[in-house]
Amino acid sequence: MDPAALAYLAAGLGAGISAVGAAIGIGRLASSSMDGAARQPEAAGDIRGLMIVSAGLIEGVALFALIICLLLVLFV
Amino acid sequence: MIGRLRSLQLVALVLLGLSASLSVPSATAAEGEVTLESIVNNTIIGHAEDGYYLNFKPFAQVELPRIMLVRTADGALTVEAYGSTKSLLKDGPYGFVPEGGEDGAAELITAPAALSDAISAKEHLYGSVARTSGHVVVDFSISRHLIFGLLAMLIVLGMFIALAQRYKKEHDRPEAPEGIFQNMMEVLVVFVRDEIAKPNIPDGKWATFLPYLLTAFFFILVANILGLVPFAGAATSNIAITGVMAIMTFGIVILYASTDYYKELLTGPPDAPVLIRIILVPIEIIGLVMRHLALAIRLFANMMGGSLIIFSLLGLVFMMNVIMGEAAAWSTTVISIGFTVFILLLKLLVAFIQAYVFTILSALFIGMAVEEHHHDGEEEGEPEAAAPGGRPAERLDAVEDQIEQRVQPTTA
Repeated sequence: MDPAALAYLAAGLGAGISAVGAAIGIGRLASSSMDGAARQPEAAGDIRGLMIVSAGLIEGVALFALIICLLLVLFV
Repeated sequence: MIGRLRSLQLVALVLLGLSASLSVPSATAAEGEVTLESIVNNTIIGHAEDGYYLNFKPFAQVELPRIMLVRTADGALTVEAYGSTKSLLKDGPYGFVPEGGEDGAAELITAPAALSDAISAKEHLYGSVARTSGHVVVDFSISRHLIFGLLAMLIVLGMFIALAQRYKKEHDRPEAPEGIFQNMMEVLVVFVRDEIAKPNIPDGKWATFLPYLLTAFFFILVANILGLVPFAGAATSNIAITGVMAIMTFGIVILYASTDYYKELLTGPPDAPVLIRIILVPIEIIGLVMRHLALAIRLFANMMGGSLIIFSLLGLVFMMNVIMGEAAAWSTTVISIGFTVFILLLKLLVAFIQAYVFTILSALFIGMAVEEHHHDGEEEGEPEAAAPGGRPAERLDAVEDQIEQRVQPTTA
């Protein structure tokens, strides 16, 4: 098989899988922070701040994967 | 009514400008055929990436000066400056490497006729240049992202120097904030102070780092919002700029870290066995570097990803034009403009969130480094010392110990 074709395949699969991972992470984060905010509405402000920071961290991991996919596509 | 009409006109103008700025393929169609590859490489990636030109299409395309530090064939170091990439190729000993040709010398175009062909087709804007004799040591060329980074800097400076005139005394102002501008900025500054600096940097040291955090926050915010302006670009979608900002945070962590932090970093946790320390110390050091690397990559990838999505959605119209003809392109326009507006609004949100995330993570890392640990290791011998500070459970234990010591002699 052509190595360039394999690289494109890997990049596409990698982007999809990293999106799945990030979606699971952010989904769990959002669901539990909503639980928390519903249970303790007075803490909703703090929870929102923490949620954004942790979403940023999760996103960072997913973006690492996306950068690798981008490198695979652009520098084959 | 007139105001609403005027704002509608403005929106229409902005939309027109945005769509017109993307009409690169139709412009190059006169020169030759438009291929899928040229749309992807020149229109989509060329707009999202850094480049040595300012794109004001359809009005103008301004090429920026090229400044090169070169080592000539006889080994001398010189600085060469040209007004644009065009004059660099025409007048200097440079050849042109078209986009996609990474094999270097094999693809180098040096013949004057081929060069003028490439320049008239605007290909020289998307490819790279290489010297025919000797080599380029450092490319100091002024690029688009540098221009917009400097513009963001000027905007922030102008905004805050004007604003600072109203606060004569330290931590105090003569009267209540006046006008939209001062009110809005004071809200943001107070937000950074109370929500980002104070909770994350312990022991009242936040005041030392507040200027850096405010600078980072407002520079990133202004640069991100500049990325949403038609014809402009986000300086933060360049890994070099975000990398330098992450290095600044890293430098602050290294310079201001407490001795406790260094001790824990270099020798492991206080009461861990030696074997675990041997494993943990390299992990801690790698983690320290990776944290700041992730700081740079997160901001870069978010901004770059956002603009790539916008240009890909709009580029879909031109791709459909090539693949399936004009009718399909017109029907794609509706869908892709709708999605683009949605993504643009999302990017406006992301502009604020990323500025917030970068600043709060910087504050968190700095806070972790400057925190002093009240000498946990030395306290084990003398429980009385643990009483002030410490966590509630520890304090409770210490009080109980004291009571036991006092009670036991009397009962015995």
